[in-house]
Amino acid sequence: MHQWTAYFLLLTAPAAAQVSYQDIQKGPAQDWLTYAGSYGAWRYSPLKQITVNNARNLTAQWVYHVPNARGLRASPIVYKGVMYVTNTNSIYALDARTGRLIWQWLDTRANKQGVNRGAAILGDRVFFTSTDNYLNALDRQTGVLLFSRKFADADSGITSTSAPLIAGNKVIVGSAGGDSGMRGFLAALSPETGDEIWRTYTVPAKGEPGSESWSGLIEWGGGATWLSGAFDPSTDTLYWTTGNPWPDFAGQPRQGDNLYTCSLIAVDLATGKMKWHFQFTPHDTHDWDAQSWPVLIDTEWEGKPRKLVVHANRNGFFYVLDRVSGQFLHATQLIDKVTWAKGIDANGRPIAVPGQDPTPEGNWVCPSVKGATNWMGQSYNPITGLLYVLTLEQCGLYTSSSKTPEPMKNFAGGGATEEGGQVILRAIDPKTGKRAWEYPMTGLGRMWTGTVSTAGGVVFTGDDDGHMLALNAKTGAHLWHFNMGELLTASPITYEAGGKQYVAIASASAIFSFGLFEPAEPMIPPKVIFTK
Amino acid sequence: MILTPMIRAVFLCILTAAALPAQHGRYLSESKNAAIGDPQSIAAGAKLYATSCAGCHGPDGSGGRGPNLVRRSLWHPLSDEAIFAAIQKGVPGTDMPPTRLPDEETWKLVAFLHSMIGPASENKVPGDPAAGERIFRSRSTGCSNCHSIAGRGGRLGPDLTDIGGRPLGLIKDAVLKRSRDLSLAGSEGVTVKLKNGQVIEGVARNRSNYSLQMVDKSGTLHLFPMGSVSELKISERSIMPDDYAKRLSRKELDDLLAYLARQTSRRTN
Repeated sequence: MHQWTAYFLLLTAPAAAQVSYQDIQKGPAQDWLTYAGSYGAWRYSPLKQITVNNARNLTAQWVYHVPNARGLRASPIVYKGVMYVTNTNSIYALDARTGRLIWQWLDTRANKQGVNRGAAILGDRVFFTSTDNYLNALDRQTGVLLFSRKFADADSGITSTSAPLIAGNKVIVGSAGGDSGMRGFLAALSPETGDEIWRTYTVPAKGEPGSESWSGLIEWGGGATWLSGAFDPSTDTLYWTTGNPWPDFAGQPRQGDNLYTCSLIAVDLATGKMKWHFQFTPHDTHDWDAQSWPVLIDTEWEGKPRKLVVHANRNGFFYVLDRVSGQFLHATQLIDKVTWAKGIDANGRPIAVPGQDPTPEGNWVCPSVKGATNWMGQSYNPITGLLYVLTLEQCGLYTSSSKTPEPMKNFAGGGATEEGGQVILRAIDPKTGKRAWEYPMTGLGRMWTGTVSTAGGVVFTGDDDGHMLALNAKTGAHLWHFNMGELLTASPITYEAGGKQYVAIASASAIFSFGLFEPAEPMIPPKVIFTK
Repeated sequence: MILTPMIRAVFLCILTAAALPAQHGRYLSESKNAAIGDPQSIAAGAKLYATSCAGCHGPDGSGGRGPNLVRRSLWHPLSDEAIFAAIQKGVPGTDMPPTRLPDEETWKLVAFLHSMIGPASENKVPGDPAAGERIFRSRSTGCSNCHSIAGRGGRLGPDLTDIGGRPLGLIKDAVLKRSRDLSLAGSEGVTVKLKNGQVIEGVARNRSNYSLQMVDKSGTLHLFPMGSVSELKISERSIMPDDYAKRLSRKELDDLLAYLARQTSRRTN
């Protein structure tokens, strides 16, 4: 009995390694601790074992087939040689050197299916959400469930798809479901208990400031927050993008700007209070959610150092804002084919071309409903000073419906086609929006892959044909490719384990990890003894 | 012997749960027949079972001349309708005869079987859950030294937060009969000697000829290329103690099962 007591004390001793908020703040090195790599959403890694000169020696190191996966959206996170990947209502811990499963946890309670974009890590806990809005916390080493806590009601049209973001001692979660009517919000939850600390709605309640921008349907206005956001620890400000107003394609029942949909909102971490907002697409009727990463860059602007947030928007334009004040500074055209607006005026408002709204018979508008870019992560490389953005040159036929909108009935007020089109990776000067180089791709305009770039001078991305690519970050020149054999719908990351740099990405059904070729060394197996 | 008596003594409780993570939750496609979940129908069905079925399938469904009804729910769960059809029509080519029971009686029998092979958390279980929790967390049984429920407890054994999703019979088996014939994959007791001389004891979560992923006694995860291992001892038996039938009184066992039966992740909300 005494021996047991002694052992029990051993068990309850604190584990040595824990992920701190400061670790996440430092940004990626060996580990990749948050969806976008760093709080500034750079998707940039200082690793440089893989370089422009040796990237041609990349080869697949392992593959993990995620059970029942069809269209994985997750960007993996990695801590101390363990990779965490999510799929619908499930999470897998993998040995990041071998791809072998360490543990898995399936939320068999969950009663809704939907995509999931990934996990977050803090302390000895890994977090992810189930589709029906439960925050799940698991022991990072063993997968033991610590809590599973509901934060929103799926019966009110809300689901959860985004990777949580750890900021300070808070877990920030968002909301999805804006295409069928819901009220978007951002919530901060306790990592210890899942208790709610604050909740900020992205669409005001009737009578609140901003509600005057809705002639109707404000209760179901949308403004979903279905992608994680960026964070500035120096001002404790979260930067989050919001989704479309509902019904997506029918603007008549909701005249006005429809605040704060299709916007970037700056939110105080401590209180959840909105510091400022900037609406990219007032009164959107093309389903151009603002979901694309806000990238935080400190640089010189007109001769003075300035904290900027740059943003490639689905509506076809690339924006530069002052991230402290929210002041609009500059916008340029992100893609070539934009028909709905002539440009962006001095206040940051689109100069709309008349007659571009969806019609019952259909209206041909560029960009398409998928947008000039989308939620796929962009990468900012401080060495080249370039931002690597996947763009889509595509138009579509937008139709509207005059049916009375009914929320949560899969009604979007119309629809849109996506026809033809081409994905082009563009390296952009984030201050001017000017293109440094382009990498056009073949394919059907269906991919959802982002980029990661490194101090080794390499940009990694997937293409529209299911290839993993390595390109020269300075010039866009092709260095290496690998056919993964299926549509890519997630963004790559890079990490180091056992002294080796890896680049990993989820394909539709599997996780692939790549590294530089090394000849195999014959393994001398251990002596294996089976005991009774 | 790879594990010292002390270590063996503290690897406790229901080790078999880890091998079947996907099996938690609902096994059956439920019928809307009123008998399902109705206590009177279940009680009537239990009587029918005892007189007509137990001879072949065992009093607790654990099998005999006929198959183990509880365990088969792990690998081939049946819908209530399929069970209804098997009872009325028999299973051709086997010793299972048609019963010719009227529909109403058959549904009572199905209701009883449903309660026997469905999730324990959804069925009435005798015993005092509060007393069961004290037993679970007591030093004398030590269950919680290795097993965690809703984050409280050890990390070495399988997480039991959702154990109530299993049939009661399987939970009972796991306490009393340890792993029986189930695979130990993910729960093998191992002692690893590294080429640098270090020795680590724990549980292998996964292993191949080329790498090993294990949790040591303190709950810390280790990832080894097999090339760094000089000797690997693997326990062929579950490292969970196998003497709970002796250590627990009938009441204590009932209480422990009542507590475990209530554990589903819903309850952490």
